[in-house]
Amino acid sequence: MSTPEHWQRPVELSPDALEPPSSSASGQTTTGHAQELPLESTRPVEVETGDIPLSPSPPARQSSRRWLWGSLGALLVTLAGAELYRLIHWGIDLHPLLGATFALLALVLVGAITVEIHRGCHSRRQLRRVNHLQQQASRLLTRHDTGHSSTLIHQLEQQYRQTPLARELNTALQQLDSSYSDAEIIRYLDRHALRQADRAAQQCVQRYSVESGVLVAVSPWASFDMLLVAWRNLRMLREISTIYGLPSGPLTQGRLLRQVLQNLAFAGASEMAVDAGSALLSSSITAGLSARAGQGLGAGLFTARTGFSAIELCRPLPTTDDRKTRSNRIATLILQRLGKGKAAEGPA
Amino acid sequence: MSLNKELHRLARKSRLDSLSHHLKTRVEQGLEQRIKLAITGLSRSGKTVFISSFAHHLLQSDLGTSLPFFAASADGRIIAARDLSTGSIQPFPLAKTLDGLRTYPPHWPDSTETLSEICLALRYRRSPGLGRVLGEHATLYIDLIDYPGEWLLDLPLLELTFEQWCQQQRQLFAQAPRASAAQAWLARQHDIDWLAPATDAELAQLSETFRTLLQQLREPPHSLSLLQPGRLLMPGELAGSDLLNLFPILTAFPENPAEAADDSLLVRLQQAYDRYCQDVVRPFYQDHFRHFDRQIVLVDCLKTLNRGRACFNDMQLALNTLLQSFNYGRSGLLRRLFSPRISRVLFAATKADHVTANQHHNLDRFLQLMVESAQRDIRFEHVDTRCLALASVRATQAAEARLDGQHLSCLRGMRKDTGEEIALFPGEVPVELPGDADWNSERFRFVDFAPRPLPAGPLRPEHHIRLDQAADHLLGDLFR
Repeated sequence: MSTPEHWQRPVELSPDALEPPSSSASGQTTTGHAQELPLESTRPVEVETGDIPLSPSPPARQSSRRWLWGSLGALLVTLAGAELYRLIHWGIDLHPLLGATFALLALVLVGAITVEIHRGCHSRRQLRRVNHLQQQASRLLTRHDTGHSSTLIHQLEQQYRQTPLARELNTALQQLDSSYSDAEIIRYLDRHALRQADRAAQQCVQRYSVESGVLVAVSPWASFDMLLVAWRNLRMLREISTIYGLPSGPLTQGRLLRQVLQNLAFAGASEMAVDAGSALLSSSITAGLSARAGQGLGAGLFTARTGFSAIELCRPLPTTDDRKTRSNRIATLILQRLGKGKAAEGPA
Repeated sequence: MSLNKELHRLARKSRLDSLSHHLKTRVEQGLEQRIKLAITGLSRSGKTVFISSFAHHLLQSDLGTSLPFFAASADGRIIAARDLSTGSIQPFPLAKTLDGLRTYPPHWPDSTETLSEICLALRYRRSPGLGRVLGEHATLYIDLIDYPGEWLLDLPLLELTFEQWCQQQRQLFAQAPRASAAQAWLARQHDIDWLAPATDAELAQLSETFRTLLQQLREPPHSLSLLQPGRLLMPGELAGSDLLNLFPILTAFPENPAEAADDSLLVRLQQAYDRYCQDVVRPFYQDHFRHFDRQIVLVDCLKTLNRGRACFNDMQLALNTLLQSFNYGRSGLLRRLFSPRISRVLFAATKADHVTANQHHNLDRFLQLMVESAQRDIRFEHVDTRCLALASVRATQAAEARLDGQHLSCLRGMRKDTGEEIALFPGEVPVELPGDADWNSERFRFVDFAPRPLPAGPLRPEHHIRLDQAADHLLGDLFR
């Protein structure tokens, strides 16, 4: 900056003054030569737990459709406001008490909507943070050096401070060993910090898919099936997001559902086809299945896949588990249930 | 009565009495309920400490606290573990070794002088899935053998005749640092007439000189590894036996060996070599070194970095030579029943606690450099290999120092030789072979540390480095 050129002048150095290039790009520096140090100058290494401000969330998605939705929303709000105003006015004209009731109701409604919107924004931020954490974690998984994971650890701590996950997470963080590399820290946390949540989510997915599978298999009306599956799926999404410490509410659910469906529709479509195909077509499973039961199995597998995508979205660390074995297990569970049902039906 | 005795003797001789036991072992091995794990390593590479620590942690694996990366233990699927070797003829001194590490001040075990074995039984719950059809619980038996590392280098002798061996040794002794260290010995060999009659005393005396030479080469400043025959350095139960009167002919091999007198040195040495191979090496190999399923190769990389290029080259050669004595490859069910092969290999750089944590990856890479060609050969046989820096018992604590305004990671521990506490930044582990100028500079100072005392109660992850990952790589797939 003091020099007018944009380039740095070549400087001649004696070879002894050079340090070997350090493999880590962080603030940790190491000199190349062995040396002994006075004991007093050292302090034990701890995983730092001081407060570091969260890194700003990634910039909002640019969208040309924002104007469309914005104007539409403004129009609707104005319309509703005008309509409410007329309603209250009419009420006061009729009797002041009736007007007051209307006004009160309107106030409550506006309050509820505000809270919901606030929650929705909050959950949107949370989801985005989770996404950010996942990206960081998968980047760290490829690294072999140390010292880059502290930001991630702070973010994890902050994000889950007031959630049911905090206890297990903190225990795992305290047990982190000083010799772990970044990738090992992520793998350790992946295994040990979210164990309870993972198990709960796993069971939740299992329960809902078996339920929706069985419900579809026994439901008498085909169009009713769709509603049934949608209802089970929505409840499952809500439960999973609560398990992973995300605020639950219709807006969160909607957002999650949208992302899940996007995942299923684009990223996982071919995968799903292969999975479901292999589960459906393997002769041992489908042999002797009625069309009804087949439908049930399909619906159950669909629910399972939705659940697994939701887990992937809500979990702060990337999932390493094998998805296929899990969905196979669920397929067998559904079939077992159906088989039991059949066996019970049979003698009657 | 005497007939009965005679029959017993014959049965023992033909190993009939152990046949049923043998058969049971092999069937268990075939069904992957019994695993023979080869702990391979040159002398002082940390075999004994590895075995005791490994066994110690596995025996506590039902607690699920000390091995977070060993999935079966961390998931709580191990019900209990038991040490079955108390009834064995040569049990591994597990209790003694662990006591040594627990007392104050703790000390490393003495170097191993004889063969011993340990068998662990791990009872575990099968993972949910198809395996459960076979029953919910299963037992895995793990056989480990401890032995002096010097003996391992005898295994390649089985493939060589005396003449070939002499040829090999001649090439070795023609190079530095052996050539200079063995100058007197080479000069003495020049004066010997190999074909002329000689007495037993002469042979014994020459062997003794050779043994002294080997001992010199093993110690610093040479610290060489490829020293044959190994029993000369660590005779075990053969101490004082005339089986050990053996040394290679390092001068030009006599051109007309047929003219040698029956009691000439040449004939005597040839006979001694054959007897050594037949009576010492072959039983050792056949009883203990065939039929392995998994292998861990322990390498002390830091020693080579401290000692220099000659030590590195020699250790590399020794490892490459001895790894050729093992059978590698994937085994199907039948092969596992009749002649199992090693299907998984882990190369481990021991003493990872003697470098700072940010150097562990470099230590991995340096190890890879050392075992590169062996690893390539093994991988050719479709066998999984991996390199890992580990410490069976952690002797140091990580610490940080501020030096000239910069953070410096360093180690804190007790020196092995003086017992005083020091803080040390031991230098960076290179990922490429250092150039000649770098070896003898002040670049590395890897000091040997004394162990920190092990607790009497449950172990924790801080008592080892990556032992759990080693266990998971070697055994993880067996807990189905």
